[in-house]
Amino acid sequence: MDPRTLWRRPESRFLILFLGILGISFTVIALRPVNDAFVVPYTTLIAKVSGIVLGLLGEDITINGCVLRSPRFAVTIYNGCNGLITSLIFISGVLAFPARWSAKIIGVVGGLLAIQAINLVRIISLFYIGIFFPKLFNSSHIFIWQSVVILAGVALWITWAHLFAAPPKREAD
Amino acid sequence: MSEEVVLYRSFLKRLPLTLLVAMVVWLFLRPVLDTAISGFAQLLIRSFEYPRVTRLVVEDHRAEVRRTDFRTDSGIPSIPLTEKHFNTIVLLALYLALPKPFSRRQLERLFMGWCILYLTQSMNLFFHVKCLYALSLGEWSLQNYSDFSRDFYGFWRYFTDLPGRFSFPFLIWLGFNWDLVIQLLGPQTAEDDETSTTGKKKKSKN
Repeated sequence: MDPRTLWRRPESRFLILFLGILGISFTVIALRPVNDAFVVPYTTLIAKVSGIVLGLLGEDITINGCVLRSPRFAVTIYNGCNGLITSLIFISGVLAFPARWSAKIIGVVGGLLAIQAINLVRIISLFYIGIFFPKLFNSSHIFIWQSVVILAGVALWITWAHLFAAPPKREAD
Repeated sequence: MSEEVVLYRSFLKRLPLTLLVAMVVWLFLRPVLDTAISGFAQLLIRSFEYPRVTRLVVEDHRAEVRRTDFRTDSGIPSIPLTEKHFNTIVLLALYLALPKPFSRRQLERLFMGWCILYLTQSMNLFFHVKCLYALSLGEWSLQNYSDFSRDFYGFWRYFTDLPGRFSFPFLIWLGFNWDLVIQLLGPQTAEDDETSTTGKKKKSKN
């Protein structure tokens, strides 16, 4: 197929842009200097915020880097658990979709905040699952919460595109 | 209320329910998926090795990497398979949340999408095993794999791992159902889509 014809098809243009942005962003965060200067401090920040929320819920939490420890349970927040991956996928979806830049900025900022809020709920819930239902921790961590987070990201993207990406009716007319 | 708004709301309402259904289907199919993905990954690995010594044996939802040239007393590395194919849940949930999921057209799209997802899952396991060989077996890895191979397998394992596992179901679903998803997003987006596809702007019905 002619590359120009492919580019004119909106679905293939979206997929090409999406994969391009995703590939570049994931290559950048995999670089050691970026990992040390951004990803690790970011993950530590997520652990700190989660620790503060657990503290507010009455847990006796000690935060050590990316490790949250209480007398009842301990969790380590790894790179895949910090919400960064879902955020980058969401941002790639927003940037690749045909919309005005103002709508894209709203999508990126709103999406990042919403995904971090969902991820915070995830970490807190996994902590309590670890305490009360330790046998369910692995399945909850791997397939239940990961599926929920991905689908929440898709629902957010659909909502963003529905509310902000489509131009107002009078402009379309 | 316009049809698009009804579609959009119905999609969001159905999504939690279809997630539960997809989880049940996945739990039911899990042993089959374990075997199917390990089988295809083994085929790929053996296609690129001489002599053909790798066998992937499924044991308790893990793929044990057995080589006939390992010493009998050496440890057997294993790779969790749940992480490789749990994203089937996401693909199924997204397909089922669209209108008329059991129509012939949607079932065909689901079949094609699932085949592609299966391929990506098998590729992820393939790169995981190759990475294990290239990076984790000490002196043997250094002797048998070049720096380029280590970088190559490392990059593709990384890319098909978390980024791929998280984004491929969404991309496949969107790629096959662009027309339906655009309808969910609103009439203006659908109109723009037609304009950009055909180069001609259709008159608004309003």
